[in-house]
Amino acid sequence: MVWRRRGAAFAAGWREFAKQRTGLAGLGLLVVIVLLAVLAPVITDQEGLDVTKATGGTMEPPSAEFPLGTDRSGRSVLLLTLWGSRMSLTVGLVATLLSIAIGTVIGILAAHYGRWVSATLMRITDFFLVLPSLVLAIALSTVLQQGIGTIILAIGLTSWASGARLVRAQTLTIEARPYIERSKALGGGHAHVITKHVLPAVLPLVFVNTTLAVGSAIVAESTLSFLGLGDPDPMRPSWGTMLRSAWLDSAVIAGAWWYLLPPGIAIGIVVLAFTMCGRALESVLNPRLREG
Amino acid sequence: MGEKTALLELRDLSVRYRSGTREVEAVRGVDLTLDAGETLGLAGESGCGKSTLAMSVLRLLPTSAEIGGEILLDGEDVRRMKWGRLRAVRWTSAAIVFQGAMHALNPVRRVRDQIAEPIVLHSKTQPPAGELRKRVTELLAQVELPAAKGDAYPHELSGGQKQRVMIAMALACEPRLIIADEPTTALDVIVQAQVLDLMTNLVAQRDIGLVMISHDLAVLASTCQRLAVMYEGRVVEEGAAASIIAEPTHPHTKALAAAFPTVGDPEYRYAPATNSPLGLPDPPAAEPAATDGEPLLRTEDLRVTFTGRGRVVTHAVAGVDLEVRRGEIVALVGQSGSGKTTLARAILGLQPPTSGRVVYDGVPVPATSRALRAYRRQVQLVLQDPTSALNPRHSVYESVAEGLRIHGLAGGENGTERERVAAALEAAELRPSEEFMPLLPHQLSGGQRQRVVIAGALALEPNLLVADEPVASLDASVRGEILALLLRLRAKLDLAALVITHDLGLAWNIADRVAVMYRGELVEVGPVDEVLREPKHDYTRSLLAALPTTQPTQA
Repeated sequence: MVWRRRGAAFAAGWREFAKQRTGLAGLGLLVVIVLLAVLAPVITDQEGLDVTKATGGTMEPPSAEFPLGTDRSGRSVLLLTLWGSRMSLTVGLVATLLSIAIGTVIGILAAHYGRWVSATLMRITDFFLVLPSLVLAIALSTVLQQGIGTIILAIGLTSWASGARLVRAQTLTIEARPYIERSKALGGGHAHVITKHVLPAVLPLVFVNTTLAVGSAIVAESTLSFLGLGDPDPMRPSWGTMLRSAWLDSAVIAGAWWYLLPPGIAIGIVVLAFTMCGRALESVLNPRLREG
Repeated sequence: MGEKTALLELRDLSVRYRSGTREVEAVRGVDLTLDAGETLGLAGESGCGKSTLAMSVLRLLPTSAEIGGEILLDGEDVRRMKWGRLRAVRWTSAAIVFQGAMHALNPVRRVRDQIAEPIVLHSKTQPPAGELRKRVTELLAQVELPAAKGDAYPHELSGGQKQRVMIAMALACEPRLIIADEPTTALDVIVQAQVLDLMTNLVAQRDIGLVMISHDLAVLASTCQRLAVMYEGRVVEEGAAASIIAEPTHPHTKALAAAFPTVGDPEYRYAPATNSPLGLPDPPAAEPAATDGEPLLRTEDLRVTFTGRGRVVTHAVAGVDLEVRRGEIVALVGQSGSGKTTLARAILGLQPPTSGRVVYDGVPVPATSRALRAYRRQVQLVLQDPTSALNPRHSVYESVAEGLRIHGLAGGENGTERERVAAALEAAELRPSEEFMPLLPHQLSGGQRQRVVIAGALALEPNLLVADEPVASLDASVRGEILALLLRLRAKLDLAALVITHDLGLAWNIADRVAVMYRGELVEVGPVDEVLREPKHDYTRSLLAALPTTQPTQA
């Protein structure tokens, strides 16, 4: 009974989403990008990423063999970009999930318990809000061992604060509703109120927030990698490390635009796609935003 | 006399709302006339079209409304007026006292400026500041407010004072017709009586016409000479107020009249149940059984104190000793702010008392939330507004089963849960229960929602219901049904109830005993017959005196 109703609600939500052309376009883009990233090992050969086995010349311009040219070591830029999407998407998604999870838990706990719990948690949140998160992330990744895990941790730990504020505000409005009081009078404890009433009401907001946050996480990942704090393994490139090596190899001076543009444009497209999806979702879940 | 054009004349007025493909007929062919110096009461439940009718007089309806028929204001058809003429007519010929003074005033402007606004807008030249000030002071005096109140912001005024400001605004341009849309709905009985007095005097002194809209027949009867009862967009009954109240002919008028009982008239005791076709199974014993012995619930010198900003201490509940016996309905009455709701929350363990204690069945109620769980199976809460008391995402089934699941009583959807939910829904008279289970709150009417809340409470088989204004947000006819349900539940399940209300009529309707609360203290407690017929405390007397009576005063 419950599941059938959820199914119907989902279908109604989808119809509303499908009405928005930008949202659909963003979703289409995402599907294509994710498919390419997932299928990269199938449609291409990872061997091509190995500098010792590279077949092309140094910074060759685009040709039939290398549609986007080659880098300094003679590897195909198309291949690098394709494999880079795996890294960028993984870090973007996992870091966002981490950040949203921390933010949601802290936001709900602060709003639900109030008093000193709220005061303590919100001061911690404020601390993370005022600190420049990039600086903090750089500091974190310098201290910890370099690698994909560190990058995810650095991004996740520095970007949850605004989400926590948002979730806390939403929780406060939910907790003021009389049905929470009724639930307490029925004998419901903290766990019951939080899981049965607060969480389901907060989740749509969290979901939208996640979609919008993935974009900034991907940008953060590229920034950290560009600054040389990314995964140093050449077999696991990311768009950020590509931009870094392009800069180190003086691609601009060499006039090798094919080295710089693909990762840059790829970042732009993915962030745009996530934002378009997120905005469309937001207006589905929050009817007040629908144009009228 | 006959040659004179009426102040307001509605001829075959109809209003239709169009939204998308749907069409709603809000007003269907209404004919009404009103002469200067006359007062007309317009009664009806929410959704009967009474407010739409009022707004149509000044063409204040949204663009989706289609108006048919004629609206003659001083013989001039409002529908055919040009925009400029309409603007001139608004407020100078007819003014409206809007519903809900809390929201109709601008919170960031002083009330003096807000009263002056229509005067400035309607004069051709900017009136000199001194003159304007004098006029506003004059208007404030007319509504019996001191001139100093003009410099206040709306939040600094009480509900009654705000309503007076609204009336002063309506009088600003000396209109000949005033339309008052539920002018006293959100006000306490005592304040309501003052506002009604004021409006009656103004009409008498200034020879203006008054159309007053309300769902409360008693309010209309005490201020209006004539009454029109609306039902589903039509005027179903019209005539002199006294005769309509005395001998209602339309069944709907009868229902409205019955919903506002005459306090002190034995006919209205337990009337909601005895008058309904379902009846009252076993009329409760005249005397509540066993006056001695341990009561079901007892509060001992209960106190709740709040410390606000700047260390302002408020004694919301100041030493209350209250008893509720098994199978007894006790009404807790008092004005808003008297601490009734805080007392109820303290009894339910939702608000920790500052001192004193609550004793249930001889055992003090514990303070920790874990220990409270067992107690909360026995005592259940019914809230004022059923719309917000139900989680909009939960189906009827889930809402009713919530308590069972919290207490792990029915072993989930595979156990006996479904039977128990069905039984609770049946007990709350939602039949057939199967059909209601999958529905969401927004698919139900207000009365049905309140029944779901009651069913959710009943599922735990409690001994005591604490109902905080259980019918205040419901329509008159639904109100009777819910009260009847409470009475029948008491008779069938021996369920005790503490009903919190500001409405003495409700107490007279269903309660066995009544406790009058004033400023955090119980000033009078006793059987309903005694307290409401021969009140001993001054406060109880003033509450009773402020009740609008359905017998119009022949003064």
